[in-house]
Amino acid sequence: MGDASGSPATSTDAWEEFARTRDPALRDRLVSENIGLARRLAHRFAHRGQPYDDLAQVASIALIKAVDRYDPERNVAFSTFATGTIIGELKRHFRDRGWAVRAPRRIQELYLELGTITESLGHQLGRSPTVAELAEAADCSEEAILEAMEAGQGYRSASLDAPGAGSLTLGDRLATEDTGTILVDERSVLEPALAALPERSRRIVKLRFIDGLTQSEIAAEIGISQMHVSRLLAASLAQLREAFRPEE
Amino acid sequence: MSDVVELAVPVRADLLVLARLTAATLASRAEFGIEEIEDLRLVTEELCLSVTGSATGGVLHLRFLRDGHSITVECSLETEEGAGAPVGEPDELSVRIIEALVDEHGTGSDGTWPSAWIRKRGTKVAL
Repeated sequence: MGDASGSPATSTDAWEEFARTRDPALRDRLVSENIGLARRLAHRFAHRGQPYDDLAQVASIALIKAVDRYDPERNVAFSTFATGTIIGELKRHFRDRGWAVRAPRRIQELYLELGTITESLGHQLGRSPTVAELAEAADCSEEAILEAMEAGQGYRSASLDAPGAGSLTLGDRLATEDTGTILVDERSVLEPALAALPERSRRIVKLRFIDGLTQSEIAAEIGISQMHVSRLLAASLAQLREAFRPEE
Repeated sequence: MSDVVELAVPVRADLLVLARLTAATLASRAEFGIEEIEDLRLVTEELCLSVTGSATGGVLHLRFLRDGHSITVECSLETEEGAGAPVGEPDELSVRIIEALVDEHGTGSDGTWPSAWIRKRGTKVAL
């Protein structure tokens, strides 16, 4: 577990020889000696909704690129150089295909749009654009851009009250949890659950949480007491929570 | 201009989003490029993992400092048993990921709890 270097055995001499000769057999050896690093990095990203095999393939190709591009004279350890290259390729992979996680449609669309905008702005500016620049180009708020990035990278947040969570480390949890995200499209989940409520309760829930009325305003609107609104809301929410409970 | 933001987050995977969003928000204020923000987000999560190690509970104390176009994230773990609980060596892969993505990093700044920090600079102005 602790060894992440792939193989510590690749000597400086081997890198220097490869830099000089570009010998294909030596290249194969360098790749296979370091394939462990690629696999471990792929594994690290595997909780984000893409199959491990795909990630391992992306990481392996990135490793080959890293072997080809590594310059032993630059005084950076190969493992450090390769880690950067492999993470870069994995990120790109997620950017292109990271949609195994549910996210609100507008956020998905924004994220997809961001790819195009980032690229064209990047060409224009000669550097990676800032969030403010992207927000202006996409005609949305900076917060929406940040939200889209969070969703787009395929991060998964664990179910809020998953049982037995106490005995797992963060790493374990990240590796195993795959239920939903903070950015689940609430409305699409909410609609069927709401439909199951009695008509008056449904109206109250909508007035409270969709229209944003206070309990007193709802009481006035419907013609019942605020206390009654409060009780109906609590009962409705209990019923909705039941509907949202993750399946065992 | 500088900002300091502090978070105390229970060690739970579903709450790491707070650390990532805080880092990303400050990096956006520091005018990081989108690639750099993605890196910072990744490395912030990795920093939390490296400090948490095999601990299954406790509270992560995160301190985000934006200083001009540079972001520093400090992370320490307060364990339930109190100070100095053994957490073990940080995972070597974590160290490698951190190394590859930040300008500076280090461990053990506070002496009581296991801790680590990273610093990343945005390149917009440097160019």
